[in-house]
Amino acid sequence: MADDNGRENEAFIEEELQVKAYDFRLLKRLLGFAARYWYLFALAVVFLFASTAADLARPYLVGVAIDDFIKKGDIASLGRTGVFFLLLVISGFVFNLLQIYVLSYAGQSIILNIRQKLFEHMQRLPLSYFDKNPVGRLVTRVTNDTEALNEVYTNVLVTLLKDFAILGGVVVIMFRLDVKMTLVSLAIMPAVIVLTVFFRRRIRKVYRNVRTSLAKINAAISENISGMRIIQLFNREKENFERFDRTGREYYKAAMSEIITFGLFRPAVEMMSFIALSLLVWFGGLEVLEGTLQFGTLYAFTNYISMLFHPINDLAEKYNILQASMAAAERIFLILDTPAEDDSGKLSIPDGIKGEIEFRNVWFAYNEGDWVLRDVSFTVPAGKTVAIVGATGAGKTSIISLLSRLYEIQKGEILIDGINIRDIRKDDLRRMISVVLQDVFLFSGRLKDNIRLNEESITDEKIREATRYVNADGFISRLPKGYDTEVMERGATFSAGQRQLLAFARALAFDPKILVLDEATSNIDTETEMLIQDALTRLTRNRTTIVIAHRLSTIQHADKIIVLHKGRVRESGTHQELLARRGMYHSLYLLQYQKQEPSSSSERLH
Amino acid sequence: MNSLRYIKDLLHRNRYRYVLGVIFLLCVDTLQLVMPKVLESATDLLEEGTLTRNSLAVHAVALLIVSVGIAVFRFLFRYTLYGVSRSIEHTFRNRLYAHLQKLSANYFNTHKTGDIMAHVTNDMNNVTMATGQGVIFAVDCLLMPAASLVMMLQTGGLRLTLASFSPILVLGVLVFSYMKLMQGTVQRQQEAFSDLTEAARENFSGIRVIKSFVREKHQAELFERVNETNRRANLRFIRLMSLMFPSVMLISSLSFVIALWYGGILVIEGSVSLGGFVAFNSYLGMLIWPITALGWVANIFRRGSVSLDRINALMDEKPEIADKPGAIPLMIPGTAGRAGKTRAIEFRNLTFRYPGSSEPVLKDINLSVDHGKTLAIVGRTGSGKSTLVNLIPRILPAPEGTLFIYGRDINDISLSSLRSNIGFVPQDTFLFSDTVKNNIDFYRGFSTEETENAAKTAHLYNDIMEFPHKFDTIVGERGVTLSGGQKQRTAIARAVIGSPPILILDDCLSAVDTRTEEAILRELKELMKERTCIIVSHRISAVRDADEIIVLDEGRIIERGTHGSLIEQKGYYNDLYTRQLLADEIEEAE
Repeated sequence: MADDNGRENEAFIEEELQVKAYDFRLLKRLLGFAARYWYLFALAVVFLFASTAADLARPYLVGVAIDDFIKKGDIASLGRTGVFFLLLVISGFVFNLLQIYVLSYAGQSIILNIRQKLFEHMQRLPLSYFDKNPVGRLVTRVTNDTEALNEVYTNVLVTLLKDFAILGGVVVIMFRLDVKMTLVSLAIMPAVIVLTVFFRRRIRKVYRNVRTSLAKINAAISENISGMRIIQLFNREKENFERFDRTGREYYKAAMSEIITFGLFRPAVEMMSFIALSLLVWFGGLEVLEGTLQFGTLYAFTNYISMLFHPINDLAEKYNILQASMAAAERIFLILDTPAEDDSGKLSIPDGIKGEIEFRNVWFAYNEGDWVLRDVSFTVPAGKTVAIVGATGAGKTSIISLLSRLYEIQKGEILIDGINIRDIRKDDLRRMISVVLQDVFLFSGRLKDNIRLNEESITDEKIREATRYVNADGFISRLPKGYDTEVMERGATFSAGQRQLLAFARALAFDPKILVLDEATSNIDTETEMLIQDALTRLTRNRTTIVIAHRLSTIQHADKIIVLHKGRVRESGTHQELLARRGMYHSLYLLQYQKQEPSSSSERLH
Repeated sequence: MNSLRYIKDLLHRNRYRYVLGVIFLLCVDTLQLVMPKVLESATDLLEEGTLTRNSLAVHAVALLIVSVGIAVFRFLFRYTLYGVSRSIEHTFRNRLYAHLQKLSANYFNTHKTGDIMAHVTNDMNNVTMATGQGVIFAVDCLLMPAASLVMMLQTGGLRLTLASFSPILVLGVLVFSYMKLMQGTVQRQQEAFSDLTEAARENFSGIRVIKSFVREKHQAELFERVNETNRRANLRFIRLMSLMFPSVMLISSLSFVIALWYGGILVIEGSVSLGGFVAFNSYLGMLIWPITALGWVANIFRRGSVSLDRINALMDEKPEIADKPGAIPLMIPGTAGRAGKTRAIEFRNLTFRYPGSSEPVLKDINLSVDHGKTLAIVGRTGSGKSTLVNLIPRILPAPEGTLFIYGRDINDISLSSLRSNIGFVPQDTFLFSDTVKNNIDFYRGFSTEETENAAKTAHLYNDIMEFPHKFDTIVGERGVTLSGGQKQRTAIARAVIGSPPILILDDCLSAVDTRTEEAILRELKELMKERTCIIVSHRISAVRDADEIIVLDEGRIIERGTHGSLIEQKGYYNDLYTRQLLADEIEEAE
């Protein structure tokens, strides 16, 4: 429980990858996703230029109104200018609206595609990848990280363009209005550039400190909550509090230096714009005095200056957003670059396949060199049932995964009807095999969807047939909504036995040639137990079956029993043969199964 | 109850900083209002033709001085007000954390770590936003429009002000109704996102089934559906937003059009000076942003107060286990030669149930362990073994008068003295991502030698010597990953260091192989001689030498005695014994 929580929280506390905001390799790949929507981007850019032009024209118009109409008392022209201004405002509004909408549509569509691609790729990653990465972390990749990319497409790509358009437009208009005044207004620019470059570096550092110290706090909280009992048991509340306080203080310091840096940067830029304004008032005023400059033009200049400074003010913020999205992009591409499971097999399954299984000198390890199966060989004749028994840790469960190639074996061969399973197309291979695991995983949705797993070719009638066959229809029909019952809380409302029966029905509905099953060990009430055993007998009839057996009745009915010990096949034969041999099976039998003999007692070991 | 109850004193303590910050903020606002006045005066002088080089210089310098003033005061108010909110956050978070440390194991069992995390991170963040940015914006949004309005009236007169202000009133109404409209959209957006998250989560959790039944394509289709719903919800949100901001621009521009047209006429008529016209336009500009932001400010405070309520609920949680007033320290009589003469631990008719459950987990437990003796507990999973041992360090609360430590009711003993006398190795090992040394010493200030000895006792020393940085190696994801057995042995070292008089081992050797287990048990036996010990185990080898062994079943003691006498009883214990012999036999086979 504690461990589970810990794993879920790792997504929370994971430290960020440090990537550059302008990583061209990443940008190029990101642009690749946008290529399909180039026309939307082109359209957005057109709208953007139109709305920018409307914005830029306004101070100019006010200037004209002042100089040519207000000062000359031309009320009629002033009225016309008012109407024109209004039109300008409205067209600016419309273009702005269109621009935002087209752009966000493109952005959202790209996110949809990336997310879908990522999801589909992740589904094809080998199972070992899922063993290594906590679910919470994988979910974050598909949800939050892709969402963060949105910023690249909508905020950065186009807003940056807009900022440049404004800067360029303002400068061009200013030059056309008055060259000298333009030079006066721009005189401050070198200082602004120096200031921005200097601060950008500081801000980057400051942001990083804030983020890493926040990650530390989160990690500390998560760890201390998970380990609270230990802290209390060992009386370490005071010491841990002090350490937590230190971490918090670090964050406080980082946050304060962020406040100071921004507190300096913002007013500094603002002051620069006021200095430019003062210069303008001084030089412009002089010119107006001398009559070489119109007052309205001067007024327009004061407005353009504030437009010029606007993008500079939130440059740092944009940079930060971009950096965060780039980190997200990096993480996403890391997954997309992880190779999917190997599926190089070309063979389809012929119709008349019998379903004979052979393990030939199979060696397998989850982790390199740590052998779980060593040189395992056995055959299961078509239509027969083989039970695998052994103490815990003998390597039984791994066999289930190997047949459908959820994991790859390192040495040896697994054959079905003499064909190496590596040569068979994976989809075909897995369709031929139904796997029933100990922990039955139920999806949210209706019960019947959980049986057909949304395979539309499986009709309601077939579902009913399957459930009847495996004795699951009894409890289902007693549910108020029957087959339409919604599965709640991952199936927690069903008992272990009921879940087992549902898994049987699911396996049967897909009518596999081969059945692989890991019997449940949990306590199941006697009535359901009988239903399960009865279902099992019917399910395995005339079907090639490998069963990791925990029940005496199952092994007794098996055509062959394989005793696995420490990854090797120790003994094999029928129940009677093996008992007569008085070897390991005999001991195992005494240990695990004997107690079940008198009645079908529910108690079981392992 | 008062929502501010847990931060009232913090706000109060910082009241001068708040006042100072607000004064700085007001300075900025005032100076901003002065700026157009300077421009107005310069324009008017220019118009009248009375502007000279000197008076122009005065105006330019005045502008410069005002701008420096704005910059300085802006820095000061940001530093003061944001700083206050950060320091409140720091103290408040510490408070919350200190409170969490007092809550009992039960609280953490019944509450998800993720939820608690959310309180300490997201909710705390929202509160910080309200105490910092919220205050700043509130002051700004309430004062600036009012002040601007006054200045507009003063420079442009009533009619011009009313005429150009009327669209802004519409804007105010619009923004508020937008906010209402937004709520539903935002909620739908959040739902869509959480559906997306759930779909991904379910898929990755059930990936085995999906792969086994070749359902990838279908799952991808299902995912595409939620993905598409999410896109649509996002677009709806964006559509609303993209309507909102340009609308604000549009309406505010309308104000400008009116100011331009009507103000222009007034200038022509001569009832407003050109300078007044210029200044009026600036004031109008200052009005727009705060009015737009009003809805946002309301939102900051609403979110802050919701989050504060959630944190308050957590702070209100009463610690279930705490020192009684006048709790006494645990007194343990001198150890030498007293083995077996004093009752160290005694359960009297103890029945225990978890809060909210009617079924007791332990029933009528009568049991005592003498000083220096060893008690072993065996039994099936879920028989109550762990519950029983967790009562002793008061990780779980024993009812009054049922559990006595050295003759004192456990509820009368101070927690710190009780727990510092107990070395406990829990069933599920938890290590901190810290160095091996700090995990063993656990910041109790033991010497290097003591730490090494503890590691030796737990048979961990040789393993540590093979780690890259020996005792300074960090364990966990960022350092070496320990095997299950190594983790358990670290936990044992952590418990035995400093030789606590009471040692409790709660099934702590399950991940250790038989040979190491025997070696550790040998070491421990040495240690246990003079100590009171309780061992919970499934393994006969671990319990056979205990002074007393009890068998628990469904919360009751069903068998008790020594190894020998229990074998003779031919009950559960004997059964366990024979099966273990068989299991060992199988294990040994090669």
